[in-house]
Amino acid sequence: MISVCNAQILRALGRNILCVRVNLERFILVFIFLFVIWAPTIAAETQGRTGVNCDINHSSCTRYLSSCKVTLDIEPKPVKAMKDLTFTVRLTGEKPSSAPYIDLGMPGMNMGPNRVRLKVTGEGLYQGIGVIVKCPSGRRTWRATVTVPDLGTTEFIFDVIY
Amino acid sequence: MSSTSPLWLILLVTGFTVGFGHCIGMCGPIVVSLSLNLKGERVFLSQLLYNGGRVTTYTILGGLMGLTGSFTIVASNIASLQKIVIIFAGIIIIILAFSMIGWIPLGRIFSDDYNPKGIVARGFKRLSGHRSPFAYYPLGLLLGLLPCGPVYTALIASAAAGTQSTHPVQGVLNGAALMLLFGIGTVPALLIVGKLAGLGWLKSRKIIYQIGAVLMVLVGIYFIIKGLRY
Repeated sequence: MISVCNAQILRALGRNILCVRVNLERFILVFIFLFVIWAPTIAAETQGRTGVNCDINHSSCTRYLSSCKVTLDIEPKPVKAMKDLTFTVRLTGEKPSSAPYIDLGMPGMNMGPNRVRLKVTGEGLYQGIGVIVKCPSGRRTWRATVTVPDLGTTEFIFDVIY
Repeated sequence: MSSTSPLWLILLVTGFTVGFGHCIGMCGPIVVSLSLNLKGERVFLSQLLYNGGRVTTYTILGGLMGLTGSFTIVASNIASLQKIVIIFAGIIIIILAFSMIGWIPLGRIFSDDYNPKGIVARGFKRLSGHRSPFAYYPLGLLLGLLPCGPVYTALIASAAAGTQSTHPVQGVLNGAALMLLFGIGTVPALLIVGKLAGLGWLKSRKIIYQIGAVLMVLVGIYFIIKGLRY
């Protein structure tokens, strides 16, 4: 009789231990799940200003392609998000086959396609209107990738004002 | 219409890809909260209705962008409303958390025993019913206004489509269609997250609901702080 009771107690204990273990596993599962959900947001908010190569709020910025100097300017200054902005690209050196264009994005985050189409306004001078959107994560670092047809692309990474 | 056709495909694909990244980060906590609160009942239909509401809002905003042809005009007009929506989302998540563990007796208040008089009160009861999936459509409509970078970018494309249209009606249709496709693209990711978070696949969920409630409160507070700082 005693051995039967002991066996029942042991079985019950075993079930409880198993139950606790299963619940713990589920807790870990849910925690990981929620963490995965939040990981992009957390990563976005903790990412610093790494890679900034342009002080666009104070002056224009220049980068070099193999046979061409590319100068980017954005007006009005300081450069604010959610406002209509005038993007100006000045090319010095070899001339492209067609007008350059600018793709706006955020380093390390897919913000969708946001292309600023430029029109020629003078000798080697191109302008277009675009908008840098506000990221709710609070990140302010943006990237403007200038593509000069046939000559290549160059990136300007800068901070904007929210 | 044909001039925007490639853009339609681009926005559909963009919606799909940002859905699995950006949208899960922003809307994921809300979707998880909604699913947890449903406790495994009618999760798919509720999530479908929530996403339907969200996509409807995107479509309306797209139509407005197409009509005005200006992203900044519409965006500046809804900016203050968006701040309120972020805070509201945080409050909703906290209420759902407390309701889930029984601290706020939403289920009791809106149970069958409670029979309010008047159309508004009856309608509110129907929408707020603990097990009513129909409450999730208006919730989606409202939370579709949550600020989101990729949504803004898609709206810029809608505004651009509006400027290229020859007639205002065509602008509205183009803008709305682009945002509709973008919104549809974002749905699969959030449906999957919502379905998984519904925990219908688990047998014993009590502890998880309690832990989930704590996490939801933290998420709610995070949203409120973010809304105040936005």
